[in-house]
Amino acid sequence: MDDQLYRQPVFRVFQIFLIIFTVLAGSIFAQDPAIGLTDSADVFVPAPPGAVKATDVVYDQGGAVDLEWELSPDDDGSLKVSGYYICRREVGGEDYRLVDSVMAGVRTFVDETVEQDHTYQYMVAVNGDCSTAPSEESNSITPDMEWLNFGLSNLFIIGLVICGSVIYFIAHAKRGKKFFIRKIAGLEAVDEAIGRATEMGRPILFVPGILDMDDVQTIAALTILGRVSRVVADYDTKINVPVSRSLVMTAARETIKSSYMAAGRPDAYSDDMAAYITDEQFGYVAAVDGMMVREKPATCFLLGAFFAESLILAETGNSIGAIQIAGTARPAQLPFFVAACDFTLIGEELFAASAYLSGEPKQMGSLKGQDVGKAIAMVFIVLGVITTTLAQAWDIGVFTWISDLLHDLFQVTS
Amino acid sequence: MDAIGLWIGAFLTLGIMSFLYKDNPWYKLSESIFVGVSAGYWFITLFWDSIYSKFYIGVSQEGDNYLYVGAILGLMMLMRLIPKVGWISRWPLAFIVGAISGFYLINYFSSNIMRQVANTVMPLFSTDYGQSLFSASVGTIIDNILVAGGTFAGLVYFFFSKEHKGAFGATAKVGIWVIMVTFGATFGYTVMSRMSLLIGRMDFIFGDWLGLIK
Amino acid sequence: MKKEFLVYIGILILAIILYFFVTEPVTFSPTVSLIIIGLIGLALVLIFVRTIMGKLVGRRTVFSFVAISVVVPFFMTVEQPIQTSPEVQSLYQAVLDLKPGSKVLVSFDYDPPSAPELQPMAETFFSLCLERDLRIIIMGLWPQGPQQAEMALQKVMDEPAIASKNYRYGIDYVNLGFQVGNEFVIQRMGDDISSMFQTDYYGTPYDSLPLMRNITNFSNIDFSFNLSAGYPGTVEWVQVAVDRYGVDLGAGNTAVQAPQMYPYLRAGQLKGLLGGLNGAAEFEKAAGRIGKGTKFMVSQSFSHVIVIAFIIIGNAAFFLGERRRKEEVVE
Repeated sequence: MDDQLYRQPVFRVFQIFLIIFTVLAGSIFAQDPAIGLTDSADVFVPAPPGAVKATDVVYDQGGAVDLEWELSPDDDGSLKVSGYYICRREVGGEDYRLVDSVMAGVRTFVDETVEQDHTYQYMVAVNGDCSTAPSEESNSITPDMEWLNFGLSNLFIIGLVICGSVIYFIAHAKRGKKFFIRKIAGLEAVDEAIGRATEMGRPILFVPGILDMDDVQTIAALTILGRVSRVVADYDTKINVPVSRSLVMTAARETIKSSYMAAGRPDAYSDDMAAYITDEQFGYVAAVDGMMVREKPATCFLLGAFFAESLILAETGNSIGAIQIAGTARPAQLPFFVAACDFTLIGEELFAASAYLSGEPKQMGSLKGQDVGKAIAMVFIVLGVITTTLAQAWDIGVFTWISDLLHDLFQVTS
Repeated sequence: MDAIGLWIGAFLTLGIMSFLYKDNPWYKLSESIFVGVSAGYWFITLFWDSIYSKFYIGVSQEGDNYLYVGAILGLMMLMRLIPKVGWISRWPLAFIVGAISGFYLINYFSSNIMRQVANTVMPLFSTDYGQSLFSASVGTIIDNILVAGGTFAGLVYFFFSKEHKGAFGATAKVGIWVIMVTFGATFGYTVMSRMSLLIGRMDFIFGDWLGLIK
Repeated sequence: MKKEFLVYIGILILAIILYFFVTEPVTFSPTVSLIIIGLIGLALVLIFVRTIMGKLVGRRTVFSFVAISVVVPFFMTVEQPIQTSPEVQSLYQAVLDLKPGSKVLVSFDYDPPSAPELQPMAETFFSLCLERDLRIIIMGLWPQGPQQAEMALQKVMDEPAIASKNYRYGIDYVNLGFQVGNEFVIQRMGDDISSMFQTDYYGTPYDSLPLMRNITNFSNIDFSFNLSAGYPGTVEWVQVAVDRYGVDLGAGNTAVQAPQMYPYLRAGQLKGLLGGLNGAAEFEKAAGRIGKGTKFMVSQSFSHVIVIAFIIIGNAAFFLGERRRKEEVVE
């Protein structure tokens, strides 16, 4: 084409039209960030979030800070804001670093990565599509661990009442006051069972559970062993006490020896009466089972803490025709004792039996103190159920108030 | 080597099970092996996991000198085996019993008393405030009555300060019945558990050992 | 004694024959399975009739029936329908609600005797977690627990769907091993996990494990699952981890102690509960997996039927015996 074409008016108009069209098209497309940004002034920057407030989380280990902020005015559900960045710095140290991010609409965050006694400041930056806008700095906060957790005051009050009752009754028992304990079926059979063994000329087997001396059931069992071995010493019957823990063996030997000495029969005592078998649960059971089948005791006492071996022991004792008195505070094992044994001390009856037989003030006082706890539970259950039922049905003020009070009294927050 | 282990495992399994027929030398041999190996295993486990990895490593590599306190208490505990100085073992025993009691006091009060009482206090017949008195379903009403009533009656049974006579005795009777029903359910669950163990052993015998099942 | 040795030799010969000469798994056809069920039923009816007539059976007969009811279903082609109970469903849902990358702490508090019930639960749980890209942290309060975990993990890792994801130890899962101390371990973990587990199961220092770098205590754990056969176990986890530190906890228990956990489930202290082999089978059903839990349920159901039958027979013997004794006294 020669120059003359370019000088034609029509062509000039066409050129101008082309320029205008290009500029308009470019500006239209440039407004959509998905297609391409050429100028940062076209980016939408949401308004920053409002004041950020940092508070220490109470009653924790000193490792958490609670953050709260006002949402960005642009966070109105229109997708202009996709979320917020939580940034933190340690005062007097580093720059702000990203801790975490949350979705749009969220105005709280718990930072659980802080350390006790370090001071921090926070900023929350709103996140637009391709832009962020940070808030102002928050207050300085030093996470701390409180000495006392007042959120557990109700636990403290209930604990104080129950423990206080135990101490009160122990003090009274030490002063010689006699406390009433209701009849316990299995206890009355103890003497009769030992007498039966004596008549038949067969030994007595006493199994004090398979846990160690730190378990209260073992202690209760050994207290009863003291009583049983006293009667055994009087009747001159043989007793075997296979144990699963070495310390229990030593304690059992001391108990039996004391009983024999109290009965005036120190010569009849032998260390072989209490023998250590093994710590392993089923190894112990296998050995005791073998003992039952070979020596055929006339009476078996299965008192203390038992696990899966309880049914094996009870069934083997049943199969040899022994009279069995069992007792444990482990609910999972009680059904087997109830099914296979002649008498069963259910749960706390084991400790009641121990207290009753020993007459020891601490055990008697503990039992009475626990009864106070049970009485409190019974009263509150009855009161709570009645008031809550009525409050739920009719929403009467006083019932609702009592119901809420009882719920708060027994609610435990972690 | 695997085959030898399988045959030994099968031999001991069948040996222990032969007790179901009657006591016999095979059972006695298996029992003795089991008792001896288990005692040895626990000794080794306790030595390597407690004394070596906890105490020796803790003291020599991590410099945790507080562990000496525990070691001394442990040695004092062993004095119980020597009659003349057996009284020394009362001190670490007192420490253990005291520490564990203190630890458990809060746990049991919280988990087993407070939360359970809070959960037992419930509306028996309705579901929401302002709802009619019998707005809950029949099943839920029965469930709530059983839980609340059973808990109360069970507590009455274990109350040792009053003789079980009159209304109190009748409630205690209900309590023991509830407890026995619970024992029945627990027994049923435990039968399932024991059968599961037997199934596991039979799977070993017929599957892993004899290869008769997939 | 001679008779006993003859019996031992007989059993040995039978075992050798079965071990060396029967090389293929044995399966009964549905027809044979039904015939066997019918024969067992007839035998029970016969025993019941004999009991009514005063001819009681010995306990060895009962043992034999229990053994047959457990063993024979292994070879039968019978399927049992399984329905998921609410407590199992809530545990399953709790895992589904976890986002990919969430950290799950699994505590193995059992030993090989309890493996028939708890191992299927462990395998299904691992399978579910790995399918959903959750990060697994294994530990144990029982010495053999971490070993059981290794066995379960290895089995699940060999499954094609999981193997294709190429999970890496230390990044996607770790085994911290066993720690002595029972509930005190849980207590210390609430403060600082690394104080209890300085190294992992293989001796790698805690800080060298990428997965554990940002995990200080329970607040950095999204969900916990405990497999328990006794003490220490779920009770301790509830009392310490849940009530003190607010951990979200699910539990798998042996059937012996599962009933004790229902109060905790009802009070919201447990997010879900698997009880015994039945719970394992239901969990497998919910997760869409067929494992040993499902396979063993047929034997489980058969043995329960046998137990119920003998309870009826035993009670019949008891009450009829009482009546006969009264009649003899009157005469």
